[in-house]
Amino acid sequence: MKSLLRQHRYAMAVSLRRLLSQPFSSLANILVIALALSLPLIGASLLTSVQPVAREVSVTPELTLFLSTEAPSNAARDIANRILKEHGDQAQAVRVIGRDQALSSLRENPAWEQALRVLPSNPLPDAIVVTIADGDDLAVRAEALAKVWRKWPSVDLVQLDSAWVQRLEALLRFARIGLFLLAISVALVVLATVFNTVRMQALTQREEIAVARLVGATESFVRRPFLYLGAITCSVASLLSLGIGWLAMIPLNQALHSLARSYEAEFALRLPPMPWLWIGLVAVAALGALSARWSVTRNTKF
Amino acid sequence: MIEFQHVFKSYGRGRNILADLTFQVAAGEFVFVAGPSGAGKSTLLKMIAGLEPPSRGSIQVNGQRLDKLSARARPYLRRAVGVILQDTHLLYDRSAMQNVLLPLAVTGLEPKVAHARARAALEKVGLSAKEDLSPIELSGGEQQRLAIARAIVNRPAILIADEPTANLDRENARRILSVFKDFNRVGVTTLIASHDEALMAEHASRTFRIEPGHFFDQHAKRGVH
Repeated sequence: MKSLLRQHRYAMAVSLRRLLSQPFSSLANILVIALALSLPLIGASLLTSVQPVAREVSVTPELTLFLSTEAPSNAARDIANRILKEHGDQAQAVRVIGRDQALSSLRENPAWEQALRVLPSNPLPDAIVVTIADGDDLAVRAEALAKVWRKWPSVDLVQLDSAWVQRLEALLRFARIGLFLLAISVALVVLATVFNTVRMQALTQREEIAVARLVGATESFVRRPFLYLGAITCSVASLLSLGIGWLAMIPLNQALHSLARSYEAEFALRLPPMPWLWIGLVAVAALGALSARWSVTRNTKF
Repeated sequence: MIEFQHVFKSYGRGRNILADLTFQVAAGEFVFVAGPSGAGKSTLLKMIAGLEPPSRGSIQVNGQRLDKLSARARPYLRRAVGVILQDTHLLYDRSAMQNVLLPLAVTGLEPKVAHARARAALEKVGLSAKEDLSPIELSGGEQQRLAIARAIVNRPAILIADEPTANLDRENARRILSVFKDFNRVGVTTLIASHDEALMAEHASRTFRIEPGHFFDQHAKRGVH
C-alpha cells in the first residue's frame, strides 16, 4: 500500500515536472480548456439564477373571466355554476369576485384610493377566477377553455394569467437542453485538447517510457503520470474557468441591476451552488484523466 | 536459471535467425555470447529478458516459462533481469543519480532507501563523484558504467549486456568487464554479448558462439546445430 502511494507521489511529481518544463504550452492548453469550460459555466449560472424566479410564481394557470358591466347581477354566479357543471373536471377551483368586492379591495390600496374617490360610479366588472386542474398540457387546456368561455354571453374578456410563466418554463426547458448540448461540445473540446497534449508528451517521453519498461515498469506505472497530467491540467483549467465566470458576473450583474430596478425587482446572476461546482470540477478532472488514459494507451504502443 | 528448449526465432516469413537452440545456464554462471554482427546475439539476449518472444520453443528464466507469462507478470520478471542494451538508453534530461533511481521508483521503494541503494550502485561502478552530472557530460566508458549501475540497482538475479565494450578503448573495456566479473562473483548470473575476441580470450569463460545457422556451446565443446 505504501509502495503504491509512493508510486502515485512519483507519478504526480513527474507530471508536474513535465507541465513546468513547457510552461507556455501548458498554459495555452489550460487557457483553451478554461475558456471552453467558462461558456457552460456562465450558461449554468444564468439558469440557476433564473429558475428560482420561475419557481416563486405559481405555474398553475388561472383563467379570469371579466363580465361586461351591463351583465345582470347574478350573471357571475350563473356562469360559475355553468363552469362547474360543464367543465367541472377541468376546474380545480372557481371563485367569484363581485365588482363591489373588487372595488373595496382596490380601495384598501392607498395608491388607488385617491383615484377611485373621483370616479362617479364603480367601473369594475364582476369577475370569475378559475384555477385549472393539474395535469399535462396545462397551457393548451387553458387556452382551449378560454376559447369556449369567450363565446359565452355576458363574458367580455377571458385572461390567461400565468401564460408568461408557462412561456418562461418552456424557455428554461429549451435553455437546459441547449446547455446540455453545449456541455457535451465542451467535453469534446476538453477530450480533444487533453488527448493531443498527452499524445505530444508521450512522443516526447518515448525514450523514458522505453527505459521504464526495460527496467520493469508496469503499464499502470507508465500511464500514471499522463493520467495525472490530464487531471491536473483540467483541474487548473476548471479553477481558472470559475475565475473567468466570476469576473463575467460583475459587468453582467451591473447591466441586469438597472434592468431589474426598472421593474422594481431584485435580480442578480450568481455562480451555481458550491457542491455543484465541486462535482463539476471533479467530473472535468476525471474527464481529463480518462482522455489522457485513452491517448497514452493508443500512443505508447512501441 | 535460464533454459532454452528447441527455440527458433525468425522475423516475418524470413529465415530463422536462431534455430533449434537448446541450452541451460546455471545460477551464478558467466557466459559470453560471441559471433559476428547480425548473427543473432542481441536477439538471444532480448529473448532472455522477455523483450522478444521466440517463434517456437520454450524459454524458462528464473523459474518462469516466458511463453506462459501474462503481460501483467512480464514487468516483474524484467525486474529480476538487469539489461544493458547496445544503445545505453540513458535519459539525458536527468542526472546520473536520477537515471539510477528510475528502476527503484518503478518498484515504489522508500526514497531514503532508494537513494542509498542508487549511491551504492554508482560507487560500485566508480561514478559516485559524478552522480549530479548529466549522462551527456560523461565519457563513453562512464555512460556504459552508468547503464550498468542502473541495471544492477534492483539487485537482479541475472545480468545481460549487449556489446557493453563496443566503441570503448582497451583499458575502458577491461574496466567494464571487471565490473561485470565483480557482480558475477557475488552470484549474479551474467551473459555478455561481444564480438571482441581478444577481450573474451582474456577471461576463460563458457561461450555461446552464434554463427549463421549454427550454435556452439564452447564450454561444453559441443555443436548443437
